[in-house]
This record gives sequence, structure tokens and C-alpha cells, in this order.
Amino acid sequence: MTAATAMRRRIDPVMMIVAVPVLLAVFAVFVLPYLWTVASGLKPQEAIFRDVSPLGLRTFLPFDPTLENVVHLFVERNIGRALLNSAIISVCQVAGTLVLCAPAAYALTRIDLPGRSVLLVLILLTFLVPYEALIVPMYSLVNGIGLSDSLAAVFLPWIASPLGLFLLRPAFEELPRELDEAARLEGAGHMRIFWSIVLPNVRTALLTLSIVTFLFSWNAFLWPLIALQSPDNAVVQIAIAQSVAPGQLPNWGETFAGAAVATLPAIAVFFLLQRHFVRSLAASGMK
Amino acid sequence: MTRKGDIVAGAMFLFPFLAFLLLFQYLPIAMLARDSVHAFTLFNPADKTFVGIDNYVRLFTDPTVRQSFFVTMVFAVALVSLVIPLALALAVFLNSRLPARDVVRTIVLLPTVTSAVVVATMWTFILHPANGLLNAVLGSVGLGPFDFLTSRAEALPSLVLMMLWQQVGFAAVIFLSGLQNIPEDLIDAARVDGANAFERILFVVLPLLGRTTLVVVVIMTVFSLQTFAPAWLMTGGGPLGSTNFLVHHIYVTSFQFQQPGFASAICVGLIAIALAVSGLQMIALRSRWSY
Repeated sequence: MTAATAMRRRIDPVMMIVAVPVLLAVFAVFVLPYLWTVASGLKPQEAIFRDVSPLGLRTFLPFDPTLENVVHLFVERNIGRALLNSAIISVCQVAGTLVLCAPAAYALTRIDLPGRSVLLVLILLTFLVPYEALIVPMYSLVNGIGLSDSLAAVFLPWIASPLGLFLLRPAFEELPRELDEAARLEGAGHMRIFWSIVLPNVRTALLTLSIVTFLFSWNAFLWPLIALQSPDNAVVQIAIAQSVAPGQLPNWGETFAGAAVATLPAIAVFFLLQRHFVRSLAASGMK
Repeated sequence: MTRKGDIVAGAMFLFPFLAFLLLFQYLPIAMLARDSVHAFTLFNPADKTFVGIDNYVRLFTDPTVRQSFFVTMVFAVALVSLVIPLALALAVFLNSRLPARDVVRTIVLLPTVTSAVVVATMWTFILHPANGLLNAVLGSVGLGPFDFLTSRAEALPSLVLMMLWQQVGFAAVIFLSGLQNIPEDLIDAARVDGANAFERILFVVLPLLGRTTLVVVVIMTVFSLQTFAPAWLMTGGGPLGSTNFLVHHIYVTSFQFQQPGFASAICVGLIAIALAVSGLQMIALRSRWSY
């Protein structure tokens, strides 16, 4: 019976009839817009307009590709600088988040501190406050402490991340306490235990936190828009946004090319994340 | 090691995190409360006038705020009610033993990792009335052309469509993990009892997905509350305020109209809504909905 059901599930003809249209729909809805974006980034404006109607292969593939838009972006619009700013901010935000969250997670899970649960509630409460609701006082605050219009103002406010603690805590908690005890008997202090015993064993959680933080930081828009004023400090999302905002007459090819360039690093990191996810799913399945 | 040593070490490990948390979370919340009872401009923030609860009175009487609140709620409800059935269907598909499901999962997640700015940029062009992709597609089957973003009736539905496109894959992956937690023998038992695939989903799987559904509802509601880039980039909050989401209204009120005091009162309102949504989630997750 079980073998028969398994067989039936594998080659269920009804599901196969459903599958093909679903695959086609997913391709049309999710892949074609990206193809259109990349192809149009490699075309001059007239060609984009000419190729969109009637729809055809020409709409989604660049038959006479030109790098004119990309070159213009880097030479005239200085998008390289914006990419560099975004990279600096994202890397610093990841590093800062790890440096603050990992020791805090250690203290809250491996040391019997008095009032630990109160602390945890106070930290996780801030998780419920959307950051968009704090932008107004945050603007006054970063100006007040002399960080106005600096890259540091973009990432420093968010590195004490309650989400980071939330993601790290289960991994720190799961690690057997006997490991700490054994090290302690051999004379290791908390610094040694944290650095040589706990951290190497929670690498997966640290990697997950790094990737999530990177994507968050790279894709952020509202806070950089408020915190940064000078054009030299613009991050890549702001550079893209300013060419399409209402009232602008965007150069389509250049904007498409910019959108593609701004998205590539995030998608590259996402592919890393995916492999990593599959591995952690497999690991949790073995328990 | 002594207990005293433990406490000293713990304090040292916690200090940097707590110092940043106090400075960049609790201090802004306190500043927000203070600012919300003052009137001032960002040009001269030291010159504050105490206005009591005036900003809060205005919060409940100002027609623009009321419209912005209404628009945000409609956006959230529309998104949630469309994303749930579609994401669930997608998750059931991803959970079946069919070829290419890993590829499909990767593809539907792409918009989730694409920034709000790039999604808004792509959709500005997709929805362009003259040269946009969507009107070209609809035109090839004899529909349209539509105005989309410049029409008061179509702008908000267009942004719901875009948000649905961006978030459905993420919601589907959450549903997928919910589906994978359902014991296989429950579904097999229903099959033995003669339930067909549709009945198995409706009467066995769905009731067991209550918690997961709630999580998706809360996440999507919070995402809707946080929406900013589409309004800033695509519509400027218009036409006639029809896409003026709360966060966009806060931004405009504070940084363009130079009324950060009033904007702070709207922020307090936004925090209250966010806390209410999370509170409802906690209450519901503790109730007998669970299995």
C-alpha cells in the first residue's frame, strides 16, 4: 500500500497537468521582468521602446547589445562611488552586528546572570518597534553626536540588533554545557571559552546572521536617504532612486542598467544563502 | 571560577550591546515621546515650543493623516488577502514531488532579495502607460491601455500587485516549512479514508496550518505598514493622496513640511499599531489554535 501510494505520488498525472502551466506562469511572471531589465540595460532608449510592442524575443533579449549605458553610469554618474559606499556600509554593518551580538548572546545564554530574563525582554521589546518609526528622532540624534552626513551614521544605529540576538540565541543555547565545564576545569576563562569553544560551534548561525544583515543593509533606502546628504556619500539605492523619482525624465536604458548593477551583489549573496539554507535544513532533519 | 567573576565577565560581554541599544533604541524612543508634544523645525531643533497633546489631537482629526491611515490599511488588507491563497498554492506546489521545484523556489524568492528601490524602478517601467511591459502584454490580448500609476482608481491596486509579486515567494517559503511539519501519516490517513487531493488540503492541511498562516499574516501586515519606497519613487503618494502610506506621510511631514513634532506623534501611532499587531499574534499563538 505504502509503495503504491509513493508510486502514485511520484507520477500523479493530474499533478503533471497542473505542473506545466504553473512552471510557465512562474517563468513569465518572475523571470521575464528580470530578463527585460537586463536586456533593456544593454539597449539604447529607442530600442527599448521599439522592442516592447509587439512582444517577442527582441523584448527580452538584447540582439545588438551595447555597454553604452553601463559605461555612462560609471564614467558620468559615478555609480562606482555609490557601489563602494554601499559596500563599506554593508561590510561595517555586518562586522559591527557580529561584534556586538555574539558576546551578548554568549552572556545571555552561557552565564547565569541575575536579571537575565528581564534584560532579554527589554532587548526583544525593541524588536517590535519598526525602525521606520524612529527615523525622526534618529536624524536629530546622529546630528547631535556629530555623525551628520557620514557613512557611519548609516550603519552604527542598527548594529545592536535585536534580530541578531534573536537569530543567534537558539544556536548558543543548544551547545552542550559540558563543553564549557570541561574547559573551565582546565582553567579557561570566559574569554577563552567564548572564542575557542563556543564561536567555532555556532558558525552556521553567525553566517546566517551575516547574510541577513548584508541583504538588509545593502537594500536599505529610507534611512540612508535621511542620513546622507552630499552626493559623494550616496549609496547605490539612492543613486538608482533619484533617476526615477516623480518629476524626473529617466533615461530608461541607464536606469535599467543601474537597477541590474545594484541588484547583482544581493543576488550573488542570496545564492550563497540558499546553499547554506539547504544545509541547515538537512542538519535539522537529522536530529 | 567564582560567581562574582561570572557577573563581571557577563557585564563585560553585554556592555557594548546594551550601550548601543540604550543609545540607538531607547534614547530615540524617549526623544520621540518628547518631540511628539513639541512644535519645532529641523532647521532649528533647539527652539521647541511645548504644545501638550495638540499633535495627538491633530493625529485623530487631520484628514490627510486619516486618509494615509486608511490607504495603509486597505493596502495591508488587500495584500494579505491576495498573498495567502497564492502563497499557499505555491507552497503546495513546491511541496509536491515534481521536477524543477528547487528552481521554482529560487525564482520566486528573487524579488524578495531584490531591494524595494529596484523593484519600484522595474515596476515604474513595467507599469508605464505608453512604453511599459504590462500594457504591451495586455494590449496583445486586446485590453487597455491602462494609466496604472497616474489614475486615482488604479494606483493603489497597481502597488498591491507589485507588492504581491515581491512578497508571494517569501510567504510561500514560510508556508512550505509549515507544510513540511505536518505529520505524513495524518495525510495518509485521510487518503485511506477516500479524501481526494483537494479535500485533503481543505480539511486536513489547512486547519493544521493555522499558526503558520498567522505568522504570514503578521509579517505581511508589518511589511505593508513599513512601505515607503513605492510611494516615494513611483507616485509621490498620489494621485490625490491615494498611495500616501503612513511612513511616506511621516517622511514628508518631518523632512519636507518641517513639522517633526507632528511627525513624531504619527510615529507613536505607527508604533502603537505595530505593537497591537504583534500583541494579537502572541495572544492567538497561545490559544487553542495550536495543535
